[in-house]
Amino acid sequence: MSSKIEAPRPRSIDRSKLSYISTSAPNDREVPKPRLIDRSAVEYIRPVLTVLEKNVHSPVTPGVVHFPQFKITPALEKAANKRIAQYPDDQRRSAVLPLLHEVQHRHGFISPESIEWVAEKLGIAAIKVVEVVTFYPGFRQKAPGKLHFRVCRTLSCAMGGSYELMANLCEITGIDRGSADTHKDPISISPCGNYSVEYAECLASCGTAPVCLVNDDFHEGVTPEKAESLITQYES
Amino acid sequence: MSDITYLPGKEPHEKEHRLIFRNVDRKGWNPKIKTYLAEGGYEMAMKALKMKPQEVIDEVKASGLRGRGGAGFPTGIKWGFIPPNNTKPVYLICNCDESEPGTFKDRYIAHQDPHQLIEGMVISAYAVGAHVAYIYIREEFPEAAIILEKAIAEAKKNGFLGKDIQGSGFDLEIYVHRGAAAYICGEETGLIESLEGKRPYPRIKPPYFPAAIGLYMAPTIVNNVESLCHVVHILRMGGEEYIKLGTPRNSGTRMSVFQAMFLRGTVAVPITFQELLYDMCGGPKDGRTLKAVIPGGSSSKILRCNETFQIGRGDDAEEMTFWQLPLDFDTLAAAGSMAGSGGVIVMDDTRRMSWVLNNITHFYAHESCGQCTPCREGSTWMKKVSDRIEDGKATPTDVQVLEDIAYQIDGKTVCAFGEASAWPVEAMIDKFRDELVGETSDDNDTRSAERIAQEQFLSSVPQ
Repeated sequence: MSSKIEAPRPRSIDRSKLSYISTSAPNDREVPKPRLIDRSAVEYIRPVLTVLEKNVHSPVTPGVVHFPQFKITPALEKAANKRIAQYPDDQRRSAVLPLLHEVQHRHGFISPESIEWVAEKLGIAAIKVVEVVTFYPGFRQKAPGKLHFRVCRTLSCAMGGSYELMANLCEITGIDRGSADTHKDPISISPCGNYSVEYAECLASCGTAPVCLVNDDFHEGVTPEKAESLITQYES
Repeated sequence: MSDITYLPGKEPHEKEHRLIFRNVDRKGWNPKIKTYLAEGGYEMAMKALKMKPQEVIDEVKASGLRGRGGAGFPTGIKWGFIPPNNTKPVYLICNCDESEPGTFKDRYIAHQDPHQLIEGMVISAYAVGAHVAYIYIREEFPEAAIILEKAIAEAKKNGFLGKDIQGSGFDLEIYVHRGAAAYICGEETGLIESLEGKRPYPRIKPPYFPAAIGLYMAPTIVNNVESLCHVVHILRMGGEEYIKLGTPRNSGTRMSVFQAMFLRGTVAVPITFQELLYDMCGGPKDGRTLKAVIPGGSSSKILRCNETFQIGRGDDAEEMTFWQLPLDFDTLAAAGSMAGSGGVIVMDDTRRMSWVLNNITHFYAHESCGQCTPCREGSTWMKKVSDRIEDGKATPTDVQVLEDIAYQIDGKTVCAFGEASAWPVEAMIDKFRDELVGETSDDNDTRSAERIAQEQFLSSVPQ
């Protein structure tokens, strides 16, 4: 048995036959510009849609009636252009988060069509928007209720009673959190579509625990007993 | 300062020295620029613009200001890391992604005193030569993002931002960038990735030290909100004077924010735990006793209230009880924990440690970004094991398993999140092993049919 192990010799490759491998040095290689989605080119758009269909499941929820369907409006375009102008011209991709926030603020959640629009607007592939949407817990892929409660569940608030607060909210609004999962399906919606609840991680107001966000409004010191008054103050 | 009155019920404690929190919860205060200018606002920015950038950096270096984000890295030295022959644009980023459980200091500044932050950013940007600055604010502060954008517009209108600030020839634009509820964005390279519009997977250091290769591969300085605000006061007082505020190597004031079911407030160092928890916060309620304290955000190691520590080395070593420990970076590090972001979480004797542990592991399992395998798999595994312990379904070996997992995450990841998730678990088991083991039982040991058959067979065989 030979003690020396011979390294396998590299196979010689005829690089001229491989058109897709650039033979020039990596430094001066021209970086291809991302292609814009051409809506007429069905062959191209088809795989993009498959990626979206695969990764962005936007199940229809009872909350969908409270939000307008995604539509490209002049107001949205204007807001988007303002956000894009914040970043250097060659770094438009930076505006992914602000644009998605604009969409979510107006339409409640991120739909496949809106992802396509954001990708087109920034000149990047749709998958690059999808990877952002699926990563951040702040982006929703399905419509929440008209009132979306985000209850802090981290240590300080938990010691202050946020688990009980969540239980009370669910009981009052008739939400079943049985199928909720922090990673895959954090949002639970009431059958009427008016309310939805979600656990949030540390809302950074531990001194006034327990705290929760209702849509964009912040509420401090919401002890479990205050669950009912928290909901009723939005009824009018 | 005696003419400042605060809102009823929000008055600072007599031992509290408010520097950057001066205007928080103040009577008649609002976040408008008019109010800020009436108090001598933006004077320091004007003063800085007349100095040379290097002089500003030297002043901050002389003050010994340590970053208030958690790691405690000296701010002036960080600024000095920009390569001298740099030709790329320099960026300044304000890290307002305050997500560390137990920490809530940046919230007050962003909501109530945005102009102090903007002034600090103008000075810092001038010192490092940045013409574009971003405030990365977490998604959970929707109101603060609006307040900051309004404040930036106001400052621009008054000529403190934009082109040629007050005739000095220095340009600066500040933009607000909202995150999307990811804890990992507080890590500076993760934040930069997020600002570039990608998933916030932290970059490996070296080579990606932000001061050399940061945002868009250009030199970038990332500072915490509190650090940037302190810069304003350093210029006002001078570095030499500022250093006298704290203890050596721990200069300046520091906000510690506290909470528990029974204690609330914000104070400044240097003080001991005894002064802090009993004199300033009023001690535990209903005659309970304190059991444990997490001194610097949930990632710092827990301290037991009945412990004694050896502080110092060799002949200088002295024995200190927990209550005598001062709250500064170095002493807490010597006691085996860290001052971190300054969020103190206090637990009394009614708390079950397994419950606390379970809550913390759930947090880290949710927030792990998933880039490095030890952290991604380990944090979820720790969550499952701690679920079992909390439910009383664990065996005594589970505690050992949990400890083993924690030590296998520690130091094996790209960013400090690995340590952040492992340390609390390691410390909790170290300090409260008996209590955790006490909640487990050998009866919970589930054995497969195969193993039972094997054991029966082995016991039936004559020895």
